[in-house]
Amino acid sequence: MTLMYRGLFYTALFAASLAAQGPRPAPPKPVARPLPDGLGKDIVQRVCGATCHGPEIITGRGRTREDWSNVVNGMVARGAKASASEFSDIVEYLGKNLPPRAGAAGAGGVGFIGSGPDDAHLVDPVAAERGQIIYNAECMSCHGVAARGAKEDGTDLVRSLVILKDRYGASIGSYLKLKKHPTTTGRPSASIEGAPVIDLAHFLHLKVTDTLRSGPFTQPVNVLTGNANAGKEYFNGAGGCAKCHSVTGDLAGIGAKYEPVGIQQKFLFPRSFILSRGSRGGVAPPKPVTLAVTPANGKTVSGVLVHLDDFNVALRDAAGEYHTWSRTASLKVVKTDPYAAHIELLDKYTDTNMHDITAYLDTLK
Amino acid sequence: MKSAILLLATAALAQTLDPAKLTQPPTDTWPSFNGDYSGRRFSPLTNITAANVPSLSLAWVHRISLPSTGGPFPGAIKSSPVVVDGVMFFTVPDHVWAIDARTGRELWHFAWPSRGGIHIGNRGVAVYGKWLYFETPDCNLVSLNMKDGRERWHKQICDPDQLYYASAAPLIVGNHVIAGVSGDDLDVPGYIQSHDPETGERQWRWYTHPEPGTPEAKTWPSVEAMMHGGGMTWGSTTYDPELNLIYFGTGNPQPVVAHKGRLGDNLFTECIIALNPDTGKMKWYFQSSPHDTHDWDANQTPVLIDGNINGQPRKLLAQASRNGYFFVLDRVTGKNVVTSTFARANWAKGTDAKGQPIPDPLKYPQNDGALVSPNQAGAANWPPPSFSPATGLFYINASNAYSVWYIYDDTEKPEGWGGNDRGGYSAAMLQAIDYKTGKIKWSHKWEGPGGPRNGVLSTAGNVVFAADPLNNFVALNATTGQPLWRANLGSAISNGPISYQLDGIQYVIVGAGDTLYGFAMNPK
Repeated sequence: MTLMYRGLFYTALFAASLAAQGPRPAPPKPVARPLPDGLGKDIVQRVCGATCHGPEIITGRGRTREDWSNVVNGMVARGAKASASEFSDIVEYLGKNLPPRAGAAGAGGVGFIGSGPDDAHLVDPVAAERGQIIYNAECMSCHGVAARGAKEDGTDLVRSLVILKDRYGASIGSYLKLKKHPTTTGRPSASIEGAPVIDLAHFLHLKVTDTLRSGPFTQPVNVLTGNANAGKEYFNGAGGCAKCHSVTGDLAGIGAKYEPVGIQQKFLFPRSFILSRGSRGGVAPPKPVTLAVTPANGKTVSGVLVHLDDFNVALRDAAGEYHTWSRTASLKVVKTDPYAAHIELLDKYTDTNMHDITAYLDTLK
Repeated sequence: MKSAILLLATAALAQTLDPAKLTQPPTDTWPSFNGDYSGRRFSPLTNITAANVPSLSLAWVHRISLPSTGGPFPGAIKSSPVVVDGVMFFTVPDHVWAIDARTGRELWHFAWPSRGGIHIGNRGVAVYGKWLYFETPDCNLVSLNMKDGRERWHKQICDPDQLYYASAAPLIVGNHVIAGVSGDDLDVPGYIQSHDPETGERQWRWYTHPEPGTPEAKTWPSVEAMMHGGGMTWGSTTYDPELNLIYFGTGNPQPVVAHKGRLGDNLFTECIIALNPDTGKMKWYFQSSPHDTHDWDANQTPVLIDGNINGQPRKLLAQASRNGYFFVLDRVTGKNVVTSTFARANWAKGTDAKGQPIPDPLKYPQNDGALVSPNQAGAANWPPPSFSPATGLFYINASNAYSVWYIYDDTEKPEGWGGNDRGGYSAAMLQAIDYKTGKIKWSHKWEGPGGPRNGVLSTAGNVVFAADPLNNFVALNATTGQPLWRANLGSAISNGPISYQLDGIQYVIVGAGDTLYGFAMNPK
């Protein structure tokens, strides 16, 4: 690309934005999209709002309960702070109140909700299905199945400014009308107008949202690539898993209970919130960290960790009593993490080990 | 003549920034995101010391109150406040406040009528004379009058239709307002640009990809891939006045995770860049993460250190990168001096002759998963580090973290994301790194789950201010790492602390969620 061509490229790219300079007209009416009311809303607002991101991850496309549990696990690892039961409530709230979106445009379609401009095109999935029929007939042979371009002259429509600037077919319709654009069947492009252009627009905008992190690609392709026998050997040998676990005891039937990716996540990160296959119920909370605190008087108090930092410590004992101390040189604190061995293994596993164990545990149906 | 003198006298009473303050260690001002151009976030003040910091007390609290924006969350204060002539300016997305730096009392509040964009955070304002500058999620650079918060002008700096947004704190250099941009949802190119502080007109724009036809362009399979290759500029920028070079990092390449359409190093994404602020021309680059596949933006502050290596005074630059690597470069030439790791990092096979990590293809995201450290959040992230010339230590709140990286879209031409990491483990610690060797001098492990997202301040009183994952704002001995004082603020500390002194009282300010806290060491 020559410099001049590149200049034109970017001139086109930013023409629309430059045109917006000057006196500021009244803003469009904001699209109201507060979180739906429901049990757990306050926890979502507190935990999710206090961490890293804006609302786009929450209010974008909507997800299944399983997908939401994956999102929440990721957020725990990134520093979201809440108790195990609160994370469970968050998953339930999101799964119930923000399922995959469907319905008419403007009433909760698919789109850049929370990430793009407030007036961005919202996709009506039903209209997009109609649009796909037109697309497949007239456009797909050049622009490809996913509208990401195919033939040399088949523009990548997901990256096209005509599409990104479009709202409900306005730009796409003008383009087809003015450009005498080639079509697969040879019909004049200007003849695609009215409702069909709006349908086509819904389909093309859907293809753009498919590439977002909130898009439909949320599942690994295949995690069952390991050698189950090697996994069994590692389980009983180098991994040390058999020291605590039994394939006929606590792990019996685990391959039937969880999807393979769930198994993989569960042994790597046992505090993860992993739903069992077809589960409608909750998930048993992870085992708590325990503390044994010995003050200067030598009387040790043991219980479940409630708080531990550099300055203070608190626990709840078996009788439910709450104990709290300032940390001093004479106060002995011993912390026991039931998952310490899992954490140590993170530094030791090879990816082959990981895939082998997944394959082995999956055989325990 | 008389009226001119009168005007000058009046001007001296209002909030006006003397540009020289930007080049000096911050004392009675904190005039930019990092306090001065070096990015050290080092306060030369000594009223607070390791000996007396247990007496640090709360002077004021300022809680922001916002009308409902229609969105689900209130904004957390991620901005570093700026302090000029006793008045503090800080932001959350779409909002700017001026408050009294002695009392926390609000003077004015400016609300930008938003047209959308990602409201993930805003890093704060820049100051030029009596004018403020900040960026908005819907891609505007806005100038306000410091006196009353009235808008002077706004200029669009990016295009929300392409899912760009704006979150960075601009930097003033001479008569330039340097503004970076954000957005890694769609495959669009990154850039940084400069505006005239008076008129707002754009002076130059530098794209974070090479010119087609240059040797660096060969790090992409095609011009098309390069022109859609990402590399946003949302971190903090530093400046060396002697060399007249600005330094900043660039973000992840696009598509982010499913990378098979962009094989190669993908310059100038994931780089530390040195640029002439007058021309926008690049002087040198150093790539922190060649061919990144893990969203490890190299936007962490390039901290300028006037140091000494093997007995020779050197102009250096240090970055604790999101990918777990610590780099020290010669900031005149960009040549590598030190490469080490400051947290778990299992994704590289070693380093090349330039000191850059060599990514291990086995640790790219895989169809069946790859166990990678660090996780997507990184060993470090945007929260600013600190360097103390008194101890020679570089302080960074860091995470040892693992997650599994999957390819979700293994079709022929993945775009956007096409994969992600899942699950994970993260442990947090404050690392003190010897800049001469990259070795960890001391490491303070924080109790509690997950990685902290908060910055660090070091002071000439041998104190480091940082935060743990359990809402504690903590002062530590800068030499030994011993915790000395804390205040539990009830929600996660959300920005980088700052310090300034007014009327003999040294203040330390930190944000936690929707509240700013002003701590003070009162004179005896």
